[in-house]
Amino acid sequence: MSGPTDPPYVIIVGGGKVGFHLAKHLIERDYEITLVEKDAARAEWIEHQLGTVSIMVGDGDEMAFLATTGIERASVVIGTTGDDEDNLIVCQLAKIKFNVPRTIARVSNPHNVAVFKALGVDAPVSATELLMGLIEAELGSELVRGVAVKASGTCLVDLALPALSGYVGKRIGEITLPKGGIIVCIVRAGKPVVPAPETVVEAGDELVVFSQLLDIAAVGEALSKS
Amino acid sequence: MKVIIVGCGRVGARLARQLDAEGHTVAVVDQQVSAFDRLGREFRGNMVVGNCIDEAVLRRAGIEGADCFVSVTSGDNRNLMAAQIAQRIFKVKRVITRLYDPIRESVFREMGLETFCPTTLGADLIREYFLDGVNRGRNASGVDGTVVRAS
Repeated sequence: MSGPTDPPYVIIVGGGKVGFHLAKHLIERDYEITLVEKDAARAEWIEHQLGTVSIMVGDGDEMAFLATTGIERASVVIGTTGDDEDNLIVCQLAKIKFNVPRTIARVSNPHNVAVFKALGVDAPVSATELLMGLIEAELGSELVRGVAVKASGTCLVDLALPALSGYVGKRIGEITLPKGGIIVCIVRAGKPVVPAPETVVEAGDELVVFSQLLDIAAVGEALSKS
Repeated sequence: MKVIIVGCGRVGARLARQLDAEGHTVAVVDQQVSAFDRLGREFRGNMVVGNCIDEAVLRRAGIEGADCFVSVTSGDNRNLMAAQIAQRIFKVKRVITRLYDPIRESVFREMGLETFCPTTLGADLIREYFLDGVNRGRNASGVDGTVVRAS
């Protein structure tokens, strides 16, 4: 054994609000971080705020500059600028030229999530889409107890099963949720029950459903139908 | 030929006017309505206001069924993203991209994009003019237009 592994090395490109707070958060969790910011004054301010962070002033999408950040040993490169095209190119360069295993990009235009995936970004994250999904879930259904969102736009959502729901008394094997939602766990009287095909759902059960974030409302609606 | 040009700056507008005059079907995309002023009154092509890295905007410009896609906005990354959408998602046969950064140009050319770099073209051309003058001695007063394209 070579002792405890080194903390993952993460390069964040873009020192705006997202990049700054992300760096701060990851430093607290003992990641090794380099933050890349174009604007020297902004970089200085961040350095003043975060102290220990390694911050480099430069163009995150410039090959020669990226090579100076130690990018070839990075586990993750994250593009957090406000411009989709810049985040895409940073991730592509990291992936193609420096073989970085994982690239994550902030995406402003939700339409670009699919485009980023097609162009090789491992995890495009659209704040707009996540926010839309969360708000829609809250709007669409009072059944929602909590939502755990994953970067891929999928989520785990806790949904209360109303007493009048048409699903009450049905076996898991008979239930098909809309949009491919999957019941991964049932919480009954505060205790988890692993759903088997013959498990019968009861009124008052809380269903933990795996679903696309934007489909929560549809799942909630189906559960509340009598 | 059906051609989509994104970026209606000097280069984009000039190209659009030429191709249009030659009888090609041209659509130009730019975020600024005022950019289309450069196209002049005779331009008969399609003008689409919008963001060229948005699939919906490109669809509106008729990218499905286009023979050629040219990205000449002022931003390298914007050009690269638009070009890759055209090539990889809409499968446009010819995609031509302008990149000012020579290093980025070589990277993405390796990836199979057809790119050109005004930075290296311009520098090479100036150098050739200059050497031409030097070779002809002190009395060579300037550029006489005989220099062909630098390559």
